[in-house]
Amino acid sequence: MAASGVANSETFTVTTPSDTEIQLTRLFDAPRHLVFEAMSKPEHIKRWWGNLGDGYSVPVCEVDLRIGGKWRFVNRHPKGEAEFYGEYREIDPPGRIVFTEIYAPFPDAPSVVTATLADENGKTRLVATSNYPSKMVRDMVLQTGMEKGAAKSYDRLDEVSMQLATSR
Amino acid sequence: MTDHLSTTFYALADPTRRAILARLVTGECGVTELAEPFEMSLPAVSKHLRVLERAGLITRGRSAQWRPCAINAQPLKEVAEWTERYRKFWEGKFDNLELYLQELKAKEKTNGSKRRGK
Repeated sequence: MAASGVANSETFTVTTPSDTEIQLTRLFDAPRHLVFEAMSKPEHIKRWWGNLGDGYSVPVCEVDLRIGGKWRFVNRHPKGEAEFYGEYREIDPPGRIVFTEIYAPFPDAPSVVTATLADENGKTRLVATSNYPSKMVRDMVLQTGMEKGAAKSYDRLDEVSMQLATSR
Repeated sequence: MTDHLSTTFYALADPTRRAILARLVTGECGVTELAEPFEMSLPAVSKHLRVLERAGLITRGRSAQWRPCAINAQPLKEVAEWTERYRKFWEGKFDNLELYLQELKAKEKTNGSKRRGK
């Protein structure tokens, strides 16, 4: 599982608490106030959010951290750019932040993200719950592979179907 | 995401259609046989098959009597590529965050010992 070798990588889970939600959890070896800061200050966000190696960068990272304030991140990757934006709804450091999130190609499908940070003996457990406007939208996001099981089963389907296709 | 991929995702966003695809992975199959595991009328199953066919996820034989369904690899391959990217998207970001937090923690320790406070 922890193929990356990064600490706590194996604590990453993806679940579906309801028909319209996806929940990500992850334990981090740092106190809550640092995790909160890393998630809400542009100079920090730029360093980890879209920085996935060569060809990746975060050319736009705007955060107006107040209720009703807007945020916008652009992730440049080898095949193009992905833009996300939204608005802050609740800001309660270091334990809770709520914001809307729109993936730019789908402006009609905003999600509401509730992130809570719980202290666990000096470590921090992040629980980020995204609530989508409908089950259909949620399922579409899920099918983009946020759930490992789904990704795995599609991989399997893919493998087998590739065999079928090439055996013709 | 292209419209083509949206059509694929729409077709996949239904448990019955996913079950049909899973069945077809094991080989070609006629409509009647496909309908068996579901408490569903043949027309209802045919409707699902049309959605899958439109998305290019299945092909259907051309003989008028028996039109067996077969799974088609290409759209699934595109989805699999997309899914893999997306899964890695969060896994990679969180791993990055963990590493970055260790930097922040170290910095805070240095500053903290100077300031002796928070």
